[in-house]
Order: sequence, then structure tokens, then C-alpha cells
Amino acid sequence: MTNIAEHDKNARHLLMGNEAIARGALEAGVAVAAGYPGTPSSEIIENLASVSGKRDLYVEWSTNEKVAMEVAAAASFAELRTMCVLKQNGVNVASDFFLHLAGSGTRGGMVIIPCEDPGALSSINEGDSRHFSRMLEVPLIEPGDFQEAKDMTKWAFELSEELRCPVMLRSVTRLSHASGNVVFGDLPEVDHKARFQHDGFILDPDTGIMCSAPVDYRHGLQQEKIKKAEEIFETSPFNTYTGPEKPELLVITSSACNLYTREAVLLLGAEDKVGILKLGTTWPLPPKLLEKHLAMTDKIMIVEEVIPFLEENVKILAAELAGTIGPKTFYGKRDGSIPSTNELNPDLVVAPIATVLGMTYEGVPAAYTEKALPLAFFNAPSRDLTFCPGCPHRASFWNIHNVLSLDNRNGFVCGDIGCYSMAMLPTGFSTLRTMHAMGSGTGIASGFGQLGRFGMDQPVMAVSGDSTFFHSVMPALVNAVHHKADITLVVLDNGGTAMTGFQSHPGLEIDAQGGDAKKLDIRKICESMDILVRESDPFDFEKTQQQMFDLMEIKEGVKVLILKQACALSPEKKHTKKFEMKVVEDACRGENCGCNRLCTRIFRCPGLVWDAEKGTSKIDDAICTGCGVCADVCPVGAIDRKEVA
Amino acid sequence: MQIAGSKELTEQVLSQDLCTVCGACVGLCPYFKVHIGKLAKIFDCDLEKGRCYAHCPKTDVDFEQLAQALFQQPYNGEPLGIYRRITAAKAGDKTGTGDFQNGGTVTALMTCALESGMVDGAVLMDSDGLLPTPKLVTRAEDVVKCASTKYMAAPAVSCLNEAATDGKTNLGFVGTACQLTGVAQMRLNPLEKADFVDPVNLTVGLFCTWALDTRQLMDFLSTRVDLKTITGMDVPPPPAEVFIVKTGETVVEIPLDEIRALVPKGCGVCPDMTAEWADVSVGAFEGKTDWNTLIIRTEKGEQLVEKAVAGGYLVLDDFPAEGLEHLTLGAGNKKKRARDNVAKEEK
Repeated sequence: MTNIAEHDKNARHLLMGNEAIARGALEAGVAVAAGYPGTPSSEIIENLASVSGKRDLYVEWSTNEKVAMEVAAAASFAELRTMCVLKQNGVNVASDFFLHLAGSGTRGGMVIIPCEDPGALSSINEGDSRHFSRMLEVPLIEPGDFQEAKDMTKWAFELSEELRCPVMLRSVTRLSHASGNVVFGDLPEVDHKARFQHDGFILDPDTGIMCSAPVDYRHGLQQEKIKKAEEIFETSPFNTYTGPEKPELLVITSSACNLYTREAVLLLGAEDKVGILKLGTTWPLPPKLLEKHLAMTDKIMIVEEVIPFLEENVKILAAELAGTIGPKTFYGKRDGSIPSTNELNPDLVVAPIATVLGMTYEGVPAAYTEKALPLAFFNAPSRDLTFCPGCPHRASFWNIHNVLSLDNRNGFVCGDIGCYSMAMLPTGFSTLRTMHAMGSGTGIASGFGQLGRFGMDQPVMAVSGDSTFFHSVMPALVNAVHHKADITLVVLDNGGTAMTGFQSHPGLEIDAQGGDAKKLDIRKICESMDILVRESDPFDFEKTQQQMFDLMEIKEGVKVLILKQACALSPEKKHTKKFEMKVVEDACRGENCGCNRLCTRIFRCPGLVWDAEKGTSKIDDAICTGCGVCADVCPVGAIDRKEVA
Repeated sequence: MQIAGSKELTEQVLSQDLCTVCGACVGLCPYFKVHIGKLAKIFDCDLEKGRCYAHCPKTDVDFEQLAQALFQQPYNGEPLGIYRRITAAKAGDKTGTGDFQNGGTVTALMTCALESGMVDGAVLMDSDGLLPTPKLVTRAEDVVKCASTKYMAAPAVSCLNEAATDGKTNLGFVGTACQLTGVAQMRLNPLEKADFVDPVNLTVGLFCTWALDTRQLMDFLSTRVDLKTITGMDVPPPPAEVFIVKTGETVVEIPLDEIRALVPKGCGVCPDMTAEWADVSVGAFEGKTDWNTLIIRTEKGEQLVEKAVAGGYLVLDDFPAEGLEHLTLGAGNKKKRARDNVAKEEK
């Protein structure tokens, strides 16, 4: 892995987009970085944290995105360069503060970096935060390749300082997680000095108070900043045009779609027909630059992912400029040329360009598809999304599923965000019945917990991970307690923010930089609210299920069950086995009435496999983590566990 | 007998609300379990044929096959089923005293069966608080602890299934019609399992007009009495029309109509008042609350009764013709009601 804090100027490195962004921030002399883990953004903070000592940085995993943005803003107010990193929906979490921050303005350069997930590869939403830039009136820039990821990050800090407002730099999965060549620039000497000046004239941007009021005055100021950004963007080197002087078709694009468009035009051999206007500054759009390029041709295509943000903004300008540039035909999401959901790829861009140009292009020959589809269908093993071998969540949801089934009152679980979100699927016995934002499981449960008065007699459960508990479950829990909602919250405490790569959270003694942190105890927090709290090890089925039954028995009020068992991939557990597991073949009932493969058909830990020839289950020693849980799943005790000495 | 799997059992019985929680499908596999008087399917099982379906008394029961297997004669469809003789009975001195519902005949017979070695263990209905809980009893002196009627539908057969899984044989079983129908079907080894061993040597049936849904009864009673204080329940003979709940100090009378609302729908399609698929069947004796009606159905039943009388466990008396008439009428009415309800269902 490249050390992003190396001093070798002009050296060329293969960098992940997120590493390039982190390097750009270092080249800008960033002092503070805060974020909340979320794919595809997490590596930026991780990379910065790993060099925090060397580069004199303060880096933290904040409790949630709003707090992260507030922490980062404080540094800006104290005249330091600072950044906040989050995934697309994290911007929603932070957006209330973001609105007010845009109004108050900033001092030290402040860059907000949302890394987004078109196609929801590791999300349950396809949020597009670009609208926040227009909605909150802050400039938006989008790198179009890996070098730009670094260079534009550095520039974003300068831009923020020039405009005195936060700047949004947006990345997407295919930029954040793919890699490309990046030539390093200079790393500055760092000597960060923080001081918050607050006792000057109250409206003075350098020494007054930091506040979005008086609104009329500050809002006007904010709009002047946007005007100024427009001017700066007119000559930005990150807006580039490639193609003929009079193209048949002008494609306007940005971000990773720039790469798809370039490849599509190459594949078509249409370099002499298609011009590509790659925009690095996507809001506000520079009108003169757009006027110049829109005048080149009558056919305009906008290539972007998710929401037609760029398309709409270009169309507004085209309407305003209609007198000089004349009428245009637009191709994009509004007319269906570009898909309006999911991420794009070169094939999806080739097709509409070919159609507009009247060319034929067959990305994948029909005959190939015809052959490949059935082959893939019949030959490729079907693999569900699944919890890892030894995952405590599988055991937790086994307990929850069994208890709710036995209870037999059509009870249900409100889900939340983490690896355990997968309990919507068979790997978690399809236990989760609602699933929305971070913390929403408990909030929704709090609402369901009031519906007894309207005849709802189903038991209501919610689940929360340990990190999610601190992120946003706490306010929902306070609400539920205060209003005496009849719910049981099961906290799935696996000792870290596991899904995104085991980042720290307030329940741990360690912080992002590896330093000593004050550990908060979930049990004590709950007990301080007079909640009845029980604790169990989810691997202990009997105790855990009894605890659940006992808590559900208690009517009225919030009950919390904390299920503690470390993630199978946690540093403390990885590569260790507690038990040596073995299937006693003679005892295994296999597919017979009386079992019908409970372990490999229902429990389905990947460490258990079905030996069709022998008609028994067996342990896959290569991946079995030796947690021992399946021994308690087998109805006839045919799975042996022997403690590893 | 058409045998299907748990999917069909769910469709035909559970989803139709016909389950009477006899426990015939429980204790055989990890999929069906009972929790506080209610059957739950924990996960789907996709086997096309399962013992759950084959043993269930609420699927299509082949009475002909059962009659041949148990009595070596054709099914007669009579109100009281196939039997050898009917007599009045009550516990003798050797049985001792206990909290008998009526004459203590069941306690007497099972105590004798255990002490004489006719069975090595017996599945009886004990209680955990108010909750009926089946129990495998192996010591004769423990039989009396399970005396008295529980009135709630309870999974007696699950306990027998579990004992059989543990390899236990030569067992006695006491239960109501649905439970005994489940046991009788289980003994036929309908899935023709090669390693099947009949775990049962003796069955004692209990007369049953209906049972009550455990959870509904508990909810119902909890609004009237402290459940923890309940010491017993009784339905006195007509024309009382009340359900009696005894607590430490008081007796609470509840109109029988209110209680009948808590009868599972599955009881309404049951054609069997006197537990026809047993070696002997025992019920109340109209007019004499400290005696029982005893129907002896099989040769084994006859041997047990003889042994019990000879050993002083049981005392017999003549059963009056008038009583037989009443009993037949009652049992016939249940058959008719079941037929009517099934016809209604099928419409």
C-alpha cells in the first residue's frame, strides 16, 4: 500500500480514489478530519488516521455524521483546514447543521466529501447528495478521474477559503474504490495553530460570531459567494472539452461517468463526431462556458448517474440562453436515453450515443447472451448474501426468530443498519420486517409500541448494532422510554463498527487514531433511563431465548437485551478457534423426516456443507471458525464440539 | 391414508385453525414446537411426506385402518366406538387418595400398570403453575401428582414422541381422543421407517367433550382471578351450566357459555367423545361424582382392569342401563355435531 504521507513530489502511484482524496487533503495541509464510517467513504478517514501522527492531524470517527460535520466546522472556525467525510445518506443526517453552516460561512478551508453509491452496491438507498449543493447553496465539485480526485481535493480547500463557505466534493463508488495513476504534489510543512476569534464586530467574517443570522444579510452574502463561484468556475482547469470543433453530439458529463463516456466514444470510434464536456464544477454551472459549448451543436446528451441533476441545471441555462444558442434537442434521463436508476457503465452509455448518431454497436452479441444466460443459470452455484462463518448475528437472529415463532403472536422486528441488516434475508431467517435509516428501527418500534391502544397485539422488537446505538438509536430510545412504548430492543453488540471495517465507536476504549478513548457502557446508559436491561451471549441459546421470553412477558415500557459476542472477523477473534467441530455421520439424520437438513438448509452457516453422496452434513474446516454454535442447532446432537486446548 | 408434509399440514390444519395442540407433530423434528399451549411452526420443512402430517388427528384419519390395527375388526362407527364392556369404577384402597377429578380410576390403573411392570413409564399430564405440562412418570407414587382434569388443550403426545426418540419403550399413555388418535396413527409407523419401534404398551383414554385454548383461558381468567392462586377447575354435571374455578379460599363460577367461546375450533370437528382408540377409556359417572365410567376396549385393557381389581387398586360396580343410554346419546351427539361442522367447513 502506498504511503500517502510520502514526500516524493512528482512520483506516480497507483491509488484508490479514496487514497487520492486523502493525499489531496494532506497536500492542502488539512488539520482535522471527521466522519462516520459508511461504504464507499470509509478509507479516506482510515488513511488519514494512519498518518495522523506523522502529519499532525486530528482524525476522528464521530458518533454520527452531523456531529462529524460539527467537529470539522469547529476547526474551520479556528482557521484550520478541515474536512468531513460521509456516505450519501450521511449528508441527510448532517443536513440540518449543513444548512446553517452554509449560512454562517466558514474560515479555514472546509470540504464536505460525500462518497456515494449509485446502484446501492453497499447501501439500501441510492441517495444523490448533489441536490444538497443547490438546496443549501454551497459549491459542488466532482473529480472525473483519480488524479483529479487528489488535485481537486487540494483545490477545494483553497476554494472554500476564497469563498468563505463549505465546498462539497462528491465521489462515487467507482471512483472511491477503483484505482488509477496519481502523480503526487508537494506536502506542506505543517504547523497548525488554532484560535477562534469571536469578539470582533458581530458581522465580521474573521472575528465576529459564527451564525446564520441575521438571515437576510447572511443569506444574501451566501448568494454572492455562489455568484463568485460561478465566475471562478468559468476558467477552472477541471472543466475540459475533448472533441471536434463542430461535433454532431455534445455529451456533458462529470464524475465517473466521464470515464464511461470516454470509453463509449472510443468503442464507437466516434471521436470525430462526439464532443465531451467534462465538468469538474457541477454547481453552480458556469454560464459562459456552457454557452460556448452548447452553441457547438444542436444535440446535447447529459450522462450522469441517479437523478437528472446536471441535466436539469443545463436545461435551465439553455432556456436562459435560448436567444443566442437556439433550440436544442436533449438526450438524458428525462427522455429515457440514460437509465434513471442504478449505476452506469460504458455499455449503457454506448447505446444511446450510437442511437443518436445512427450507428450500430453491439456491445454483447445477442447470440452470446443467449448461450451465456442458461449456462450461468444452470452452472453457477447460487449464492445468497450471507453472514460470515461464526457470525454472532446468525446466532442472535436464530434466537430472535425462534422466540418470535414460539411466541406465535405474529411479532416482528424493526431492522436497522449494519451487517445485521442482512437478517431481512434467509441468512438471518428473514427476521427483519422494516428497514430504513440509521436508528430508524428503534424509532419505528417506538411508534408501533403505541399502537396497542388501537388493538395491535403483536410483540414489537427492534435491533441495533453497538455503533448504531450511539449514532442515532439513543434519541429514539429516549422517546420510547418517555412515552412508555411497549418494545424490546435487542442490541447486537459485536464490539465495533463491523460492517464498514471495524472502525471504533464510543463504546470502545480506542479511537480512530488508535489512542485511548473513553468507553461508554450501553448497559449503564440504558439503566440510567430506568430501562430493564438483560445481557446474554447469543451463542447461549437457552439463556438468550429465556431472557427474550422474560422481557417480552413484561407489558408496558422499554426492555433492552444486550447480546454480546465479538464479530468473527474482529482482531481479537480472527484466526482463532474455540472449538474443533465434527459431524458424527452415523447420528446425522440428514434429509430424513426428523431433521431435513436443519443445519445446512436453514441455519446455513457457510462452515457447514451438505455431503450429498453420504447424505450427511460435514464441517468445512477451511472456513469453520469453531464458534461451536451449530452443535446446539442440530436436533440430535450429531455435531460434536471439542474445545481447542 | 394419504400422507403429505408439513406444508399441507399447515394449509389443512394450522391455517384452518383446527389444531387442538395434541402434540402428535411435536418432538419428532425441529420444526414444530409448542409454547404456552400453542403450536408453532418454527421453519418451513419441504419434505413431501412427514410424520407430522401422518400422525395428526385433524388430517384425514383412516378409522378402518386404526380399527384393524387396534381391535382386529372393522370400524363400526358406533357412538362409543369398539369396546368389550362398560363398568363403573373407582380407586381402591391400594391406590390411596389424591386430588381426583372423580373416582380416581385413571390414577388407579396407571399406578397398577407401573407397579406390576406392565409399563416402565407413563406419559401423564402434570401442571406447571396453571399450564398443563406433559410428563413421563416412571415411579408409581408420582402418578397421583398428575391427577385431576386440566381442561386445556395440551401437547401430551410430544412427551411420548420425545421419550420414543430417547429409545424408551413399554410406555403407558393417558390422553384425550385427539391425543390418542395421534398416538394410534404413530403406532402404525405410517412412514414405514425401518428403525421404528412401537414405544407404547398401554393407552388410557379420557372422555372429552371439548378442551379450552390455553392462552385464551389464561387471558380470560386473569381478568377474574389471580392465576397463581388457582387450585382446580371443574364442570359440574348438568343442569349447572357453570365452569368452576377454585382458588385457595373461594370458588368462582363462570357461565359455561362464556367458557365455550374459548373452545378451539378443532374440537368442533372431533367425532370422538370417549377416546375410542385406547385400551380403556375413563370418564365421569353421571350422578355419582366419586365414581367413573370405565370402557374396556381391548384384551390388554381387560387384563389391566383384572389386575387392578385383584390388586385392590380398583373397585368396580355395575353400570346402569340408563347411564349407557345417556352416554351413547352424548357421544352420538358429538359425532353428529362434528359431521355437521365438517360439512359446514367444506361448504
